[in-house]
Amino acid sequence: MDVDEIINKPSRHPYQCIASVTKGVQSAPNVYLLAACGPRLHSDTGKDEPNGNDEGERPAKKQKTGSSAPSSPNIIKLTVSPDQQHAVAVTDDKVIHVFSVGLDGALQELSERAMPKRPCAIQVLPDNATIICGDKFGDVYSLSLLPKEPSETADATAGARQPQSEQPQPTEQEKPAFKPSATNLTVHTKRNLKALQAQQNQKNFSARKEPLKFEHSLLLGHVSMLTDAVFATRVVEGKERGFIITADRDEHIRISRGPPQSHVIEGFCLGHKEFVSKLCVIPKTDLLVSGGGDEELFVWNWPEFKLLRKFDIAGAMFDAIRGAKDAGKSAVEAAENAKELQPASEHGGKAISMHRINISGLWTAPFANGKGHTETLVLVASERMPALFAVPVNRLQLKKRTELTDCVLAHPPLDVVSIGNSVLVSLDCRSDDGGPLIHVYKLKQGPEAKGSILFDDDEEMMHKLSCLEKVQAEGKFDDKKLDDLLYGVASLRKRKGEDVPRVPHGDDEAEEQAMGVEGYGQMPKGEADI
Amino acid sequence: MAGPPKKRQKRDDKPDTQMPQKKFYRQRAHANPFSDHDLVYPTCPEEMDWSQHYPAFTATIPAGVPKDDPITTTDWDDHYLHPRITQDVEVADIGCGFGGLLFALAPRMPQTLLLGLEIRTAVTEFVQEKAKALRIQQDIASREGKEQDLVPGQYQNLSCLRANTMKFLPNLFQRGQLSKIFLCFPDPHFKARKHKARIVSAALNSEYAFVLRPGGKVYTITDVEDLHVWMVDRFEGHAGFERVGEEEVEGDVCVGVMRGETEEGKKVERNGGRKFVAVFRRVADPDWV
Repeated sequence: MDVDEIINKPSRHPYQCIASVTKGVQSAPNVYLLAACGPRLHSDTGKDEPNGNDEGERPAKKQKTGSSAPSSPNIIKLTVSPDQQHAVAVTDDKVIHVFSVGLDGALQELSERAMPKRPCAIQVLPDNATIICGDKFGDVYSLSLLPKEPSETADATAGARQPQSEQPQPTEQEKPAFKPSATNLTVHTKRNLKALQAQQNQKNFSARKEPLKFEHSLLLGHVSMLTDAVFATRVVEGKERGFIITADRDEHIRISRGPPQSHVIEGFCLGHKEFVSKLCVIPKTDLLVSGGGDEELFVWNWPEFKLLRKFDIAGAMFDAIRGAKDAGKSAVEAAENAKELQPASEHGGKAISMHRINISGLWTAPFANGKGHTETLVLVASERMPALFAVPVNRLQLKKRTELTDCVLAHPPLDVVSIGNSVLVSLDCRSDDGGPLIHVYKLKQGPEAKGSILFDDDEEMMHKLSCLEKVQAEGKFDDKKLDDLLYGVASLRKRKGEDVPRVPHGDDEAEEQAMGVEGYGQMPKGEADI
Repeated sequence: MAGPPKKRQKRDDKPDTQMPQKKFYRQRAHANPFSDHDLVYPTCPEEMDWSQHYPAFTATIPAGVPKDDPITTTDWDDHYLHPRITQDVEVADIGCGFGGLLFALAPRMPQTLLLGLEIRTAVTEFVQEKAKALRIQQDIASREGKEQDLVPGQYQNLSCLRANTMKFLPNLFQRGQLSKIFLCFPDPHFKARKHKARIVSAALNSEYAFVLRPGGKVYTITDVEDLHVWMVDRFEGHAGFERVGEEEVEGDVCVGVMRGETEEGKKVERNGGRKFVAVFRRVADPDWV
């Protein structure tokens, strides 16, 4: 590759998160696509008048929210309330943004609240009033969708990341006297006693971390790093019960009761041998699909904590790699790039590159069965792999050898959302000028084996979304930073022989910083390390 | 920090019948519970082979009976073929250290299986070696007919496992399996930013509640008053627990053992420190609302 090529290499920032909002009456809904591109959130009409009230190719609306300054925090999570009235976005500065969605799809920001740790999962509960938010540190909080007091909004962000200068420095008399927890009865060694003495003589202590200034409650927590959290409901004895299902890096899937009894753990779905990164509850069933670093996808009956079967996702992935050449040069390149470098320490030999499963997405989507009726399937993505894997929901439980169908894409998929029967797939085609950023498919049952799925292009929908492609012309970005934003799953894998947390989750300063603990310097440092 | 090879050599030199010496097993008193630690743990409690830990309690399957029942087994690939054990572990000493509590408690409840859980490798090894030596000594005493040397249970009912219980408690125990959990002299983690590393927290209490049966108890003891207050706050603030009244606490044999027989308890005694005890009872889960 010559210099010219490097300079002129096309680069488009992909949409890292997409979601849909349905507005209007049920008979004539307007569907808007929300798409997050770096720090920006776009709202575009996906389709109009599904019932034949054709007004031609009406130009899609486009709105921009949030600033596009280069330093703006990127959006990492995006969700919509079940009643379609609000959208919630999380940015990588740990702030939860709540937007109202107008009838025309327009977004208006209502509140910003900074969480103590980086959120990794967010959902609006069916009551349309509560947000549950899981963070990487392992805790799951609930907070009201709309902050109760109007003043809360303004204060909320300041609460957790208050710059020291803005805070009036309390005079010495005002500050409660600091008393070390240790005494000369609890510490004995020479060094510790010296540290204790230093503490007792110390006069100035940095302020304790400000508590969050908005209403929130801790529902449950893991000591392990949390990777996903979903709220599920189930009707038992005629009454609906809520559950929170959480997954962590230490192979656990935990099922707790929903609020207000979230302190009760009902059970665990144990069987994964590697980290669990994604959960997908299948609506209207008791099925849960989970995936992570294992070579298989797990299907559970979650109310009974019972493993029903596993799907060989690694096998499907190798099929996809073999099939990549039919999907063009970019797919072959992406499949090659998906290899992970295994350090020599892992297997005793020399370092090698190989493909590994790192489940980065599980979604449900509609497809047309053999009779043309709409059914549901599960779509699976493994990080950086330019493919989607599909299996119909009604075959998840079958013990027979139903396999996953693989569909090779031109680029790695980042997010999936369904609008009507169209399945929108956001692709990381930063280096490809021609390909669409959002590829739209219509899925249907394949002719060969039962359970096989065909991915047909949905040209009509792609045309409607073409304005989203134009938005992309502007802006420069750093490839490495974009990788960090889009691809974090592979780093969850544990490395043998390393006694340090691979992903920051410990207590060293560097880890804390990487974890995003703000104002390390502001934390109480008064107490000696005894 | 691995001990010098000499230390390890000394450990191996001792005959089986002789008790291990603590000085060869000393290890820094802190471990980061968030690290991966290259731990070995079962995927789920059913996978755990307890018969290695409590060989005297191994269930013998009559000759000619196949190990697996073809009709009742599920047809996914994990079959748990471990020799079954006649009863489950019921008492867990989390952070058992050198096992003082376990060795004192085992003869007092010989029909119950006790398990020490310790994150430090060398210390775990010490407890295992000590249990092994004691069992052999008891065997010899029993064979030689030295009745006065025999203790109830002959230390067959205690064992120790290297584990990070803050992460892997549900991998070891099923719902409601335990009747007692001991948290003796836990690492106080003085710094406020390290409080999540404490062995007692609102979130972890839910896991203790999960593995404890209703009516089961958590015993805590510490010489750090702030930590005592913290632990009491966290358990009293958790809907799954209630504090046990003073009279019942003082009447509990386990509390006496915990005060007097734990290694740390003795050390605090020597240094003239204070000991703060609190016991909490697991209450039944509330009805669904």
